[in-house]
Amino acid sequence: MMLKASLREAARSLAAAKQRSLLALLGIVIGIGSVIALVSMGTMAQRETLRQFMEMGTDVISIQEEQRREDRAGGAPPGFSLEDVLEMPARLASVRSVAPYASAFGELRKEGQRQSIPILGVTEGFLDMNKLALAEGRFISDLDVLMSHAVVGGNLAERLVKQGIIAGVGEDIYFDDRKLTVVGVLRPAAMGAMRPYECNEGLMLPISTVLRLSPQNTVRTVMARLEPGVTSSQAADEIRQYFSSLPRAGQVRITSPEQIIEHMERQSRMFTLLLGAIGSISLIVGGVGVMNVMLVSVSERKREIGIRRALGAQKKDIQWQFLIESVLLSLMGGFLGIVLGVGASFLIARYSQWQFEIIHGALVLGVGVSMAVGIFFGYYPARQAAALNPIQALRAE
Amino acid sequence: MSLFKLENIRKSFALGPVQVEVLKGVNLEVEAGELVSIMGTSGCGKSTLMNVIGFLDQPTSGRYLLEGRETSSLTDEELSTIRNKKIGFVFQQFNLLSRLTALENVCLPLIYRGLNEREQHRIAREMLAQVGMDERAGHKPTELSGGQQQRVAIARALAGSPSIILADEPTGALDTRVGQDIMNLFLELNSDKNITTILITHDPNIAAQCRRVVRMKDGKVAQSADQARGAP
Ligand SMILES: Nc1ncnc2c1ncn2[C@@H]1O[C@H](COP(=O)(O)OP(=O)(O)OP(=O)(O)O)[C@@H](O)[C@H]1O
Ligand SMILES: [Mg+2]
Repeated sequence: MMLKASLREAARSLAAAKQRSLLALLGIVIGIGSVIALVSMGTMAQRETLRQFMEMGTDVISIQEEQRREDRAGGAPPGFSLEDVLEMPARLASVRSVAPYASAFGELRKEGQRQSIPILGVTEGFLDMNKLALAEGRFISDLDVLMSHAVVGGNLAERLVKQGIIAGVGEDIYFDDRKLTVVGVLRPAAMGAMRPYECNEGLMLPISTVLRLSPQNTVRTVMARLEPGVTSSQAADEIRQYFSSLPRAGQVRITSPEQIIEHMERQSRMFTLLLGAIGSISLIVGGVGVMNVMLVSVSERKREIGIRRALGAQKKDIQWQFLIESVLLSLMGGFLGIVLGVGASFLIARYSQWQFEIIHGALVLGVGVSMAVGIFFGYYPARQAAALNPIQALRAE
Repeated sequence: MSLFKLENIRKSFALGPVQVEVLKGVNLEVEAGELVSIMGTSGCGKSTLMNVIGFLDQPTSGRYLLEGRETSSLTDEELSTIRNKKIGFVFQQFNLLSRLTALENVCLPLIYRGLNEREQHRIAREMLAQVGMDERAGHKPTELSGGQQQRVAIARALAGSPSIILADEPTGALDTRVGQDIMNLFLELNSDKNITTILITHDPNIAAQCRRVVRMKDGKVAQSADQARGAP
């Protein structure tokens, strides 16, 4: 039988049992949908991280204070001393520049509305360290010591403009008990483990101002750009040595781009495993649904099978007919699943501020897998249909 | 050489533990171009015999020669091909596929020959015209009367230009007048196109219009007589 005619036949008989077909598809739709959504999410998250490194370069490391056992009981850790940190480029051969920052939270007020907003105390070098771009105004300068100047993160700015809280540079905002003047607004930047998320979602203030706000605020992270040709591990050794040689010796934890990427890869392997598990369970459920519909269809259409056999259909013609029907059924589920999955990943990308992309590999996977499910779970019913005795089939009903 | 010849055909069915013999040694020879009616009491094995003649079922023992060839060792594929090319079935209950139009129903045997769609439609239209149903080609079976459905079914049986038309009580579900119309169609096809036709009937008036009547009794051919063709 010719494929085109068979496909039309199959579509017609599926349409004749619309409700049943649709219900059977639910499993496949959810299965394919979640696989597509998860694959897309994983890929988008990875690409976001890679985009960050493309912008920032991979010669930046992040240094954090290792919390000491005795500190853990007694409240906040002391933090780095700003002077020690700022001396690093001069004293260490491997470090070209540094950007320490102190993070905190506060409340933004405007006409009775309050919202909690993260803030970051930064130095002038923070902008270049993170390769951030200004949308308007200027960034925090090292001359802004103790001044109430603020630069607004890209995503936060969009939100505040929408809420009518700020319109742009030069305006005042009320933050905790202070009045801050907005001196600049950043463009949204790709996020991923190295850049602090406040550069999109928070306010950036002079580091001296933030440290003065509360004794709780300390410098806990330092970003450092390395001299050309220096590897992360060489730099890490030198930096560790530097911090342990200080009068107030301390341990540091160093995160390199290599570690972040490796971590990301480990995560994505886990993700793939999880995905495989979820996907295969729902696809088995979906496949059993398809098999069930096809078995019912075979037993309802025994007479048709008998008639076709009497008119000269061979066993393999009957088998093909039902197999094509089940493949078409699962493909329909696959397409619905793709729509669902792409829709879900679009929403997740919006929510996570990732750049949305349709991951083509995931679509191919969706079509391929649903087709395979159709073949696998349609084979048995199709075999049964083909094996029917023509006379008994003709007598059925 | 006869068109087909049955020699001592036996057929038994397993009913639970017991074997029930339905055909108990049937001998029958039919020449090309004959119009034969088969009569007999209900349950005497007429339909079973027709299934054997039409290669839908295989005899338990005996020889079946089609156009002089022994057929007992054919595979399922070969049997399907014979049904497709040499046999045209007409059933009491019409057995049209309700999802398909009249035209598509007539195309069915041609699909299994691998003809392209244009060819299929050309032949199917021709067959529908032959049974006077060309105006209804696009109608579904449920939109047709019983007589019209049976005409479409006959067109379907003719579509593959078979050597034998096998009709199992083709007028059984129709009233006398419509039944006679269908019978006239068989007579016409037999005399004009020389199509060999075997029809099972309980109606003596129908049987009387066939040149040869085979009477079955208890799984055997009791009598096979030629008669002058006359009006009912
Ligand atoms: N597949 C089968 N299994 C068991 N018994 C069968 C089977 N097919 C037919 N029979 C039996 O064989 C006998 C003859 O059946 P058949 O259908 O050939 O009769 P028939 O002459 O066509 O009767 P009718 O005029 O009522 O159609 C019946 O007793 C029937 O029960
Ligand atoms: Mg019968």
